[in-house]
Amino acid sequence: MIDLDFALIGHQDSWRAVADVLAVLRGPQRTPLPDDEIRDIFPWIPPRALCYVDVDSVVGAKARGVYIDSFIPPDRLDAACVRENLARVRAAAANAIHAGAKIVSLGGFSSILIEGDFDQLPEREGTVFTTGNTLTVAYIVQSIRKMCALEDRDIRSSTLLIVGATGDVGSGCARCLAPLVRRVLLFARNVERLRRLAAELEADGAQVEVATDLQQFSSEADVVICAASLASPALLLGRIASHAIVCDAGYPKNLSPRGEMPGAKVFFGGLGQITGGMRFAPDLHGILNRHPFPDVVHGCLLEGVALALEGRFEPFSKGRGAITPERVKEMETIAARHGIYLAPLYNADGPLEAAGCSWR
Amino acid sequence: MEPIICLDPSPTECTSPPSSAPIWQDVLAHAMTGELLAAMNYASLSEICSDPAEVADALEHAQNERGHAAAFAAEGRKIGVDVSNNVEAKHWKRLRGTFLQCIAERDFIGCLIVQEIMLESFALASYSRVAKVAPGSLGETFARIAAEEEEHLAHAVAILKTERARDAQHFDDKVYRLHLDVMTTLAQMLAKDCKDGHCEVCHASCVKPSLFEVSLSAVQLRGASLQQYLKTLDMLGIPGQVTLTWVTQLPV
Repeated sequence: MIDLDFALIGHQDSWRAVADVLAVLRGPQRTPLPDDEIRDIFPWIPPRALCYVDVDSVVGAKARGVYIDSFIPPDRLDAACVRENLARVRAAAANAIHAGAKIVSLGGFSSILIEGDFDQLPEREGTVFTTGNTLTVAYIVQSIRKMCALEDRDIRSSTLLIVGATGDVGSGCARCLAPLVRRVLLFARNVERLRRLAAELEADGAQVEVATDLQQFSSEADVVICAASLASPALLLGRIASHAIVCDAGYPKNLSPRGEMPGAKVFFGGLGQITGGMRFAPDLHGILNRHPFPDVVHGCLLEGVALALEGRFEPFSKGRGAITPERVKEMETIAARHGIYLAPLYNADGPLEAAGCSWR
Repeated sequence: MEPIICLDPSPTECTSPPSSAPIWQDVLAHAMTGELLAAMNYASLSEICSDPAEVADALEHAQNERGHAAAFAAEGRKIGVDVSNNVEAKHWKRLRGTFLQCIAERDFIGCLIVQEIMLESFALASYSRVAKVAPGSLGETFARIAAEEEEHLAHAVAILKTERARDAQHFDDKVYRLHLDVMTTLAQMLAKDCKDGHCEVCHASCVKPSLFEVSLSAVQLRGASLQQYLKTLDMLGIPGQVTLTWVTQLPV
């Protein structure tokens, strides 16, 4: 067993990504596996490490980790496969514990499945877990402020809609942004949770409206955070301003600037960038992190990396609905100290700004 | 690492009609051939064991495997088919050849890796799948033999973990060398289609395209076998990223 600082648990979000990963493992001298063979074999692979990850801090700290894939097939992310996928996440967590990782970040769907309830994970000694949601919230909030600045919008006069408002990420964003905007619209499925969150925000002076149906809102939003994936982007139509700023922070990300929302400024949220250096062995650079800018990683995974560089092996983000502006500030400060910043903004069509324009 | 889950991505659980006898005939022929080969391998193993207890153990294993082969033949008779076997069939012959090479080198550990880790993983996974869909006593026999193979596997894993603890790199190199021979052959046997001609075990044309009639498929059997193999290698402590690379490099 090699002592590791961190482990990142993730999965591939497209069959193209799966094919690319397997092509690297198979090696250049062998013909790539045909797509049908990949789809046949992939679901049977038990969760396991794919590569080592070495990260350098801008202040000289170094951390070694491992990326563990839960091998959730990209077409099995739906509710019908929850039990199977939970089993995969638990097995991936067992891998991380066995590998001796001091801190484990739950990336992508893994965090959504566990919902911050670490009692669902295997017994562990010397390994802590974090959902990584605090840094995700930090980067979503930063990106909203940055996009408003780039578009010359006054955030204080904005109406903010949060889709998936009662989740850990959605509620964290609501707490951070409610004091900055004119009005907040909270959308989620659970009306009781919505009311509790609204009461909390109103107690701090925010103007809040809640709904379990987007059509119920009395006004349209000009800033939108999708903290949960929408069944269809068309659901937003009619409820948002044509020029709205839309942060796609759900998983999987499925909002496109083309099609139904041609005037909207859509971008992917919750992403950070490592500026001190990151290496994979074997070299899955640009394959595990498929973004138009180098060393961009989901905030949820970066939280474990930042805490490892800081030497703070603690379950920074756990449970549901516990993310506060103070904790967000603390987390983004830790990350920034090691050169981990908000990633340059982009969407499905490509970059929205040049590289090297990180918001620091 | 002890695997904590049993991933089973494909639906199963249904029984097959009596008209499926020719399909079961071929399924049984493959299983019986594998068991007879295992019996031969254990008998050969007994010849290189120096410890009398190990000799007795190997001979007992050989006897058990012969019993399994006889049980499969008996199941064939129950559904009115003769179950043939062919340990000289091209794939099986190659597998036997690799094992005999280990015998020639008096490599007890190599023998265990080939028979217990590779071939038994394949048998355990395949039998378990068949047991879920085979009707009546046929399914019960496959389930019973799968359980016995699982015990063999656990016994071998305990021995091999101790061996690996002595020199992990040397052990892993040996597993990889044998993997290239044995698992390449098994991958060809388990391919969706037999691209290199008749397997010389099926009594007529290849059984694989007909497996769906008994709620099986070559894809399932291959997937389950590779999964069991990876889990077994995990149990030995070989790093998961290493074994994944081995498996992804197999022919399809």
